[in-house]
Amino acid sequence: MPGSGSLPDRAMRDPEPGGVSASSAPTYEPMGDAGLLVTLGTTVAATMAERAQAIAAAIAAGRGAAPGVGHPIPAHASILVPFDPLAIALEDVIALARRAVVSADAEPRSAGVAPGASSAIEIPVRYGGAEGPDLHVVAELHGLRPADVVELHASASYRVLFLGFAPGFGYLGGLPPTLVTPRRASPRERVPAGSVGIAGEQTAIYPLAMPGGWQLIGRTEAVLFEADRSEPALLRPGASVRFVPVSGR
Amino acid sequence: MTTAVFDVLDGGPLTTVQDAGRPDWTHLGVPESGAADPWSLAVANLLVGNAASLAALEITLVWPSLAVRTATTIGLAGADLGARIRGGRPLAPGRSHRLVVGDILEMPGDGPTAPSTGSRAYVAIPGGVDVPVVLGSRSTCLAGGFGGLDGRALRQGDEIAAASHAAHSISEAPPRPELVWPAPDSGWLAGGGADRATLRAVAGPAGGLDQLVTREWRVGSAADRVGVRLDGDRLAEGIGGETTTHGVPWGAIQVPPDGRPIILGADHQTTGGYRVVGVVISADLPLLGQLRPGSVIHIVATDRAAALAALEERRAALVAGAAALRDAAGWGALIDSAGG
Repeated sequence: MPGSGSLPDRAMRDPEPGGVSASSAPTYEPMGDAGLLVTLGTTVAATMAERAQAIAAAIAAGRGAAPGVGHPIPAHASILVPFDPLAIALEDVIALARRAVVSADAEPRSAGVAPGASSAIEIPVRYGGAEGPDLHVVAELHGLRPADVVELHASASYRVLFLGFAPGFGYLGGLPPTLVTPRRASPRERVPAGSVGIAGEQTAIYPLAMPGGWQLIGRTEAVLFEADRSEPALLRPGASVRFVPVSGR
Repeated sequence: MTTAVFDVLDGGPLTTVQDAGRPDWTHLGVPESGAADPWSLAVANLLVGNAASLAALEITLVWPSLAVRTATTIGLAGADLGARIRGGRPLAPGRSHRLVVGDILEMPGDGPTAPSTGSRAYVAIPGGVDVPVVLGSRSTCLAGGFGGLDGRALRQGDEIAAASHAAHSISEAPPRPELVWPAPDSGWLAGGGADRATLRAVAGPAGGLDQLVTREWRVGSAADRVGVRLDGDRLAEGIGGETTTHGVPWGAIQVPPDGRPIILGADHQTTGGYRVVGVVISADLPLLGQLRPGSVIHIVATDRAAALAALEERRAALVAGAAALRDAAGWGALIDSAGG
């Protein structure tokens, strides 16, 4: 169901471009004078994000032959292609993107999954307490005990749809529908790094301390982003993620 | 091999190292960063014979206090915030200044003395500011806490060094001559400066730009490298809203559900979920980087052809300026770096 954030696992491995919504003809429209937005749809679904990743990879691969094209930014259902408009014409960027769509759609869709994605990235989380101050709020809203929320959150398998918003921030699909929770009415001025939160159909980990309005249910000591690492971001698009409850410190 | 040029006596509220930015890691959520006013970064660099994109200091509203440790020449561009050499002359932007050991660059205690327009000044040193390259750039990523000087703003006790014998330094024969940027500043000053600014924008994927062009906006107190919030008469319901999160460019004019537009700056988030009603044209990004709280702005709609013509004009002005400096100083390869 669009927007449910619930991801049928088999769809991830579907060798064909997934359902109708994930394979329909993209639209190409300028995003300012130096960007092209390729839109695949409006739904939030793993198949869609995976297609966006595959197309972005194909565009990136085509950059060598298209000077002036910047690094593409895939998201839920779109790819933003930045370019230098004095170095390449919009029409040529659209042509590059069209070719990338064709070649990406011709590949088995697993192309968008990062190497090693078969083994889940495990995120140890201390749920509740000072580190998860909103755990009881989420529980009350759904008529659950806090322990049920932890159980539900930690038993689901999540998929990294794409990275954005902040360095190393992964948009995760797969939150159990029971846990879908609105944001806090007033955002916190500072959410500590490693905080695990829920907002709407999303769950995510704050890679850095920043303001935020997510319902915080726990915290991890995993380092989500480290610029000096050979792989700066811990989460990779297409990878699966599990949260593992830990206690104490 | 580096040369210490400045001791930082006081970092000022926000002085960071910035170059032309970090565009290749946006897929990991890493902001582009780089100079908020790329035109002035380029001018400051060209004034000391650097390639236009080298790392320089970006000063925000209030100068740091810098003590000169090694005689050098700095290129200064961007806003005139009223800085001086202590006991000496004003540090006017749009020219280079020769400095001797012991000079102290600062803003006099009474605060700004110049009729300031704009918010950011750029100080370039020959060879560029020497900090480690992180993810392909020397720019400070404040959100991520990396790049520049340990990912943070300058503070007391820091040392600013120049990369000597840098590959991109055009001439290493000191001292550099004092030069004046030849043309009137056709970067962000064109169009009346930043206190009453006109920003040109092309329509975005969401409609509604026509609603923004009919009124006056004022830059709110939430104005930083990430973006500026605009205050004004609230927009009609339905113009703002949320959308499926997508990549957003520098200059995107987002309208959240509350109807108060946000224009994204150099440190903007890579993806966003608010409606984008328009995008400031590339040629006006330098002006966007010079806005400050209280600036009154008008947004005007333009089309792609006009946007590209303006950008072409901007780059030609940079190349022409670089050529004039080359002739004045006898530098060779300078002109080649201006276009990039």
